[in-house]
Formats: sequence, structure tokens, C-alpha cells
Amino acid sequence: MIPRENISPPRWPLGFLRLFIKKEYLEEIEGDMEELFYDNAEKVSVRKANLIYTWEILRLLRPILLKNLKTISTPTPIPMFRNYFKVSLRGFMKTPLSSFINIVGLSIAIGICVFVYGFAHWVYSTDQFHEHKNTVYLMTFLANRDGVLQVHGQTPRPLGEMLKQDFTHITDVCRVEDRSVVVKYNDNVFHERLRFTDPEFLTMLTFPLKWGDSGSLSDINSVILSEEMSVKYFGDENPVGESILIKFDDKNSKAFKVSGVAAEFPKSRTIGFNFLVNFENLRLADPGYDMQDWEAFVNATLIRVNDPADLKAIEMGMDKYKALQNKAVKEEWEIASFGFEQLATLHERSEEIKDDISRSSASNYKSIMFLSVVAVFLLALACFNYINIAIVTAAKRLKEIGVRKTIGATRRVVIVQFLTENVVMTFFALIVGVVLGATLFIPGFEQMWHFDMGFSLAVPGLWIYLLSILLLTAIASGIYPALYISRFEVAGILKGSVQFGKKNPITKTFLGIQLALALMFITTAVMFTQNSAYMAKRGWGYNQEAALYAQVPDGAAFEQLSAVMDQDPDVLLISGSRHHLGKSNTTAFIQMADRSYTVDQLSVDAKYFEAMGLTLAAGRTFRDLFETDKQTVIVNEEFVRSFNPGEGTGSVFRIDSVQYEVIGVVKDFHSYDFFKKVNPTIFKVADRGDFRYLSMRVRPGSENKTYKGLQANWAKLFPETPFQGGYQEDVWGSYFEEISIHATVWKVFGFMAVLLASLGLYGLMSLNIAGRAKEFSIRKVLGAGAKSIAGIIARQYVILFAVAVLLAAPTSYTLIKNLFDASYTYHMPVDFSGVVIAVALLVAVVLITVSTQVRKVLKSDPVNGLKQE
Amino acid sequence: MKKTKLGEFEELVLLTVAALQSEAYGVEIKRELEDRLKEKLSVGSIQSALKRMEEKGFLTSEFGEATLKRGGKRKRIYTTTSYAHKVLAEMKDIRTGLWESIPASLASELRTV
Repeated sequence: MIPRENISPPRWPLGFLRLFIKKEYLEEIEGDMEELFYDNAEKVSVRKANLIYTWEILRLLRPILLKNLKTISTPTPIPMFRNYFKVSLRGFMKTPLSSFINIVGLSIAIGICVFVYGFAHWVYSTDQFHEHKNTVYLMTFLANRDGVLQVHGQTPRPLGEMLKQDFTHITDVCRVEDRSVVVKYNDNVFHERLRFTDPEFLTMLTFPLKWGDSGSLSDINSVILSEEMSVKYFGDENPVGESILIKFDDKNSKAFKVSGVAAEFPKSRTIGFNFLVNFENLRLADPGYDMQDWEAFVNATLIRVNDPADLKAIEMGMDKYKALQNKAVKEEWEIASFGFEQLATLHERSEEIKDDISRSSASNYKSIMFLSVVAVFLLALACFNYINIAIVTAAKRLKEIGVRKTIGATRRVVIVQFLTENVVMTFFALIVGVVLGATLFIPGFEQMWHFDMGFSLAVPGLWIYLLSILLLTAIASGIYPALYISRFEVAGILKGSVQFGKKNPITKTFLGIQLALALMFITTAVMFTQNSAYMAKRGWGYNQEAALYAQVPDGAAFEQLSAVMDQDPDVLLISGSRHHLGKSNTTAFIQMADRSYTVDQLSVDAKYFEAMGLTLAAGRTFRDLFETDKQTVIVNEEFVRSFNPGEGTGSVFRIDSVQYEVIGVVKDFHSYDFFKKVNPTIFKVADRGDFRYLSMRVRPGSENKTYKGLQANWAKLFPETPFQGGYQEDVWGSYFEEISIHATVWKVFGFMAVLLASLGLYGLMSLNIAGRAKEFSIRKVLGAGAKSIAGIIARQYVILFAVAVLLAAPTSYTLIKNLFDASYTYHMPVDFSGVVIAVALLVAVVLITVSTQVRKVLKSDPVNGLKQE
Repeated sequence: MKKTKLGEFEELVLLTVAALQSEAYGVEIKRELEDRLKEKLSVGSIQSALKRMEEKGFLTSEFGEATLKRGGKRKRIYTTTSYAHKVLAEMKDIRTGLWESIPASLASELRTV
């Protein structure tokens, strides 16, 4: 016989049995089964006994032995949930403060989530409206410049046409070339960007037309307008058939017939147009434009294939063209290979492609990341508030739980009840949050950044997203309180021996995390504000104040304008240049002894340095006698640092095999805003005939007057051409606006975080104090003053606060340092002052919160407190 | 005979309970019947018969002793009620009556089978 203790009937059939057989029969049947099992185990084998046992149990499932089916299936749960719902609503009414804190907190966080969704949706839908987004490609080439392989978005001019003939896979090719022109319709005269393109443009990039015919682009005399331009020139009228005059330059102009108007472009796109005309018009606009020149580039070439898979074959065949290209150009312009960028993903890759027609969305993707982090943090803050308040207020609901448990609620039922309440609350918060997001956060953000993200509530994805937020938030915030509260035994509750909610370490931890998060948000807000102020004061490297500039069509116009402006006594100095700081420059390719480099180049006259207030660090500037300085350059300090350390003036290099000598070094300056790095830059002498800019130094204080005079003189001299020019201070456009928006955005986030954390603190403290009313009353009766009471109330939060600050201050310092390095090319030196200010702010907020509570205790009548049971 | 019906299997179980007396509990009834019928019976069939008859008032039951073999669980000892006795007797009478009314020739043939 096998020793009894080593064998036992299998467990799981027994569990099965217990689940289904009527309770009153269980002992008898279990006993019978066991007796039978041991009999069988002795008679046959344990294995067989096991089998028989299991089989027998299955055969025990007979109606008469089974539990009553009616008691197994829970009665329809709807009335129960109705009860939960009612109890939740009553609970909200009964504790308006807690409900307010919870709902406000959650709805702010959810509002931000809605906004993040809208923004992400906007970014992800960029360019996705093009029907052929997967089969249209932008041609690119890879070239080795300065030892780095760089992708370029331009194409050698003849390539597109050749590809179309050579590859059967390629169904369409279109070239794109942009030029600045003047457009005139009756009295409306403006500078505009004109896009020359092949007729296939509108079949490859499917911009729908509002009026007219997209096929009309094949007519060389037709122009297609964007919706915006149509409104600008013609108002709400249908302009199809109207004639507009386009002036390519001083000599060449042509009348075009409007043959189409594009429907309003989708909100998220990186490629668009203002005016579209047939590519052939370039022959007139730019007579020197050689379409067969391999050395020159066209702005973009787009191809369309039947199937993305065909691209492999095309890529394989590109070597032939690479050879053609590299034979045509000088060695330093040789390319490594040709490439293709799919339209669908072009905007994501655009950041790495130089000179492409698309706009990069990389910074938007970065923003999505930041915003998601912020949204998650705010949600966490709101959830912590809920958890803390729920745990502390649970004391008030103990009796209810006790009664529920007594009349048969299991722990699971109580958990479900609490989670239901939470879902109800989150649902309210969700409604408020969606309203907040759609009417406040999104429009606010759009207004700040001047764009429209086309947010719509009618996106099914949004509702799935909101539903998951609802459930996630409800469960994340509710599960701990539900588990915690449902844990208590009925006997303990009803006897009143359960004590909790007063000193819960979890509550403290959550509050600590909240304070820490709030501190991080405030620090970020403070630092971004500080940075914004710092950047506004930061020097540009030249004197942008009391300087004006105007763009001129050619050298002759410069002479005319210069002669008139010279009469103005407020004008101290007039300078002419081909390029201009903050407006334009060109790229030069220089050859030093060992290597070649790309540098920024500006062609200017001798007076430019003085006019713009550039500071000379070494050597001299150009002399007025242009001829002698033709082969000299002036460089910036970055140039010296990068290429010939130690050596300043006197060094030589070549550009296109002409030798140049460095005669002067100017201090570094920012030709563009602080987002752009200071590149190695050279100044060359500009021919008078090439002047495109007139810049003036004026008597400080007379800027406005001189500017008006400049405009007036311009209008007199060139009535046909719109004036382009302004204050040098304004050339950075929206840069300062942008960094101050960063500061504003973080201020808003910081404010929300502080609001949430202080609401949490307030709620927690007021509950805590309410629970200790008797204690405080006794203290007061015995003579405790304001100081001692405040001390007692504050004491428990001081350590918590200190820990939070100690943890969060260094973290936020490091975080922001990295954040600045990642987002700004130049930023203020990060120091501790921001953290200190943030801590001070948080201390102030916490003190205010605490003091409201202290005052409440001090004002209360101790008699009332003592009367409490 | 009244409405209360006693199935064939039920009758067998009931008779076994009556025969076993103080030993009439689940497994023992099963063993006894298996021996007599020479076939395997399932616990489920015996138990459902017992419960059904208890409901109908043929049987009463009470807990008996617990044994080690039963994992410390008590037996339930079944006892036949007087109502059951009456019904059983009635059944027997009916059967006997029927047997007696079978013609002698056929009856002797039946006996030899």
C-alpha cells in the first residue's frame, strides 16, 4: 500500500466541484469521492484513481446536485450601478470642495491631453492629403562637403527630363523653380513668390481646385492662384479669366490669365504655392536660365512612379547620371549619389535635407514629445490629488462600507463601486476638459503661434483616445483608494476600532511627488522667462539700433535712392551691398592648403562695417577704392577659430581658383537669429552694379522720421515697385516673439502644476484639520496662540516639503540645462538663480495655502470643536 | 398508487438503503448495488437518486461519523421513511399481484429463463 500521506486526490476537479455543487451536499460528496479515491488507489493505481476521480466529478454535474443557477448568475447589475451613480452624485454634493479640486484638476489635465492630441493629429496628418503621397518622390543627392555627407533637396537641371525618357517606371516628372516677382492687378502691387513648374505638378500633388481647371497649367499664359492670393487680389470674386501682370524684373514682364484657384490648402502641409505658372516661362523670366546645364540646379524635381517597389530599379540605374553630373562639375562639387524621398515622409526627413522645398516638421515632433510629458505629469498630479483626498475622506464613508459589506457586498463589489464612482467623476472632468481644451487651450496656442491646426471633435480617434484616458485615469486614480478602503473588516468598522487616514505614508509620498513636480514646472517656467529676457538683451555682434535698410532692384536704383537719402541730415552714413545682415547671404566654397570648406559670404562695400556697427578685431576694413581690395576678404572670428587658429590677417585661400587674402577680422555677429549658429563668414567687395540693399546709419532718435522719409522717397522714385525694407532691429522677424512664447507656454504649465499641487495640499490640509478639530479646540482652550497652532499644522509638511525640494531642485536644474542645450543654439548661462526663484515661489504658494488653514483654525470657536462627537 | 412515482433505479437504491440500514451512505450504497447489479455505477447517479428521493420524502438523512479515509468528512447516513416502506410494500404487492395473474404455463416458462 502506498503511504496515505503521499497521495491525495487531484485538486482542480475538487475546486470545480466546490464551485458547482450545492453547499449543503459538499461535505458528504467530497467525503464519498475521497473514500472512493483511496479505495481505487489501493485497488488499481494512483494514476487510474485520479482519472476515475476526475471523471466521477464530471458526472456529478446533475441538475439536482448543482447550485441553483439563479443564485449563480448575478442579478442584472444595472440597479446596483444606478445606486452607485446616485451615491457618487450625492457624494459630490456633500463634499463640494473635494469634488471641485478633483474635477478641476482632472479637467485641466484632460484639457491639455485633448490639446496634445489635436496637435499630434495635426503634425501626423502633415502632407497626408496627397493622393499619391506614396508614389511621389523628391529627388535628392548626397554630397560630401566639409567631410560630412549631406543630403541636398535640389537637382541638376537636365536630370528630370532625362529620367522621364529613360525609365518607363516613372510616369510623371515635374520641376519646380521659385522666383521673386512683382505681381500687379489694378492698384494692387505686391512682391510675391512665383512658382514655375511643369503641368504635372497638380496631378502629382493633389491640391483640389476651387475654381478653374488644373489642366490649364499646360497653357504657357495661364496662372493658378492659391486661395489666399485670390482673396488678396480679388476678394471673394471668382477671378478666373482675369488678367494679372507679373514683372519678373525691371525689363521683363508678362500678362497672365488666371485659369484656376486652389481650394483652401489643408491645415497641415509643408508644400504649397502662391502663384503657379508653366515652367517654360522661365525662358522669359530668366533669359540666362540654361535648362541643359548640369552645373546648375533646379529648386526641386518630383517624380511619380506606378509602384513604390519600382524605385529600387530606378535607384540602381542612377549611376549613369552620377557620372554625367560629376563630369560636368568641378571636383569639389562632385556628388556621392542620387536619392529619393517619399512625399509621405518628406516632412519628417526634411530637417536633414538641405535646400529642399518642403518644410521640416522635426521641431513639431519634438514638441509632441514635450507636450506628452507635460500632459502625463499634469494627469499624474491630478490623480495624486484624487488619491490623497479619497483616502483621507474614506473615514467618512466607513459606515457606508460597513453596511454594504454586512448586507452581502464582497470586497470585489466594494472595489467596483468605488471605481464606478471614479469613472463618473472622471467623466464629468472629461466633459469639462474637452470644453477647456477645445475652447481655451487649443485656440490660445493657435493664437500664440499664429497657425490653425484645424482641430475638430469629429475625429473618431479622438474619442477612442478620450475613452482610454477616461478609463486609464479612473483606474489609475481609483484603484489604490478602492483597494485600501475595501480592505477593512466589517466588525472593525462597526466597532469603530478602524483608525486610518490621519497618518498615511502613501498620502505623504504622493504629496511629496506633487510638490516636486510642481517645483520642476515652476523652475522651467522661471528659467524660460529668464532666458527670454536675457536673449532680448544679448548683443547681436553689431549695432542693430538706429539702422535702416531698403531692398533695391539693381545698382542703378541704389544710386538714385542713395542720392536722395543723402540729402536727409539725419542720415549719417549710406552703404550699399549685394547681401545684407539678417536678410541674405550666399554660400562660398573655399579651398585652403589642405582642405575645402563651406562658408557664408556677404558682398558689401567699404562703408558697410561702419554703417552696421560691426566691430573690427584685427587688420582693416575695405578701402573706398574698390579695385585694390577686389581680392581681399574680411572674416569673422569664427572663421579664424575654425580654419586657421592663431593666424588672422594675411592668410590666403582660393575661391574658384582665385586667390584671396584676409585683411581684417571682425568680431562674431549673428547675421540671423539666435536659433542659428554663427558660421564662418567672409565679406567680399561687391560691385556697385550688383547692389541689392541700401543700409543707413541714422541719428539715434530719428529712426521713425527717416523711415517715413525713406518710404516716401521710394514711392516717388519707383511707383511701380512695392517698398521692401525696414528697421534693422526687426530683421529677425518673429524670433523674440517665439522665445517669449516658449516662456509663456511654460508659465502656463507651471501655473497649472502649482495650482494642482496647491489644490491638493489645500484639500489634504483642510481634511486633516477637520479631523483634528477637537485637538485644536483643546489646545486653544488651554491657551495655545497663533504661533503654536501654525507650528503644529505646518510641522508635518515642513519635512515633506524639504525632501521634495532637495529632490526636485537638482533634477530640474539638470533637466533644464539639457532642455536648453537641446532647444536653443544660444541660451543664457544656466545658473541656480532660476531654481532659487522657483523654490521661493513654491514656498510662497505653500505658505499661503497653510496660512488659510491656520486662520480657519484660529477663527473657529473652540466650543464647536469640543462639541464634536 | 398515488402520483408519487418511484423510478426503477430509485427503487433499487431505496431497497439498498433499507437493506444496509446503519451502513447506508453514498459509497457503501454504490458498492452494494454494483455487486448486486454487476455493473459500474457513478457517484453522480447514486447521489442524484438519493437527493431526489429525499426531496420526495422517501428518505431522511443525518450525518454519521467521519473517517480518516474520507479526509475527515462526515458520512451522511440515509434512512427509509415509513412512507417509503408503504410505497415499497405497495410496489411489491402490485408486482406480486401481477405475477399471480400471469397464466401458469407462461409463468413457469418465465421462471426457467
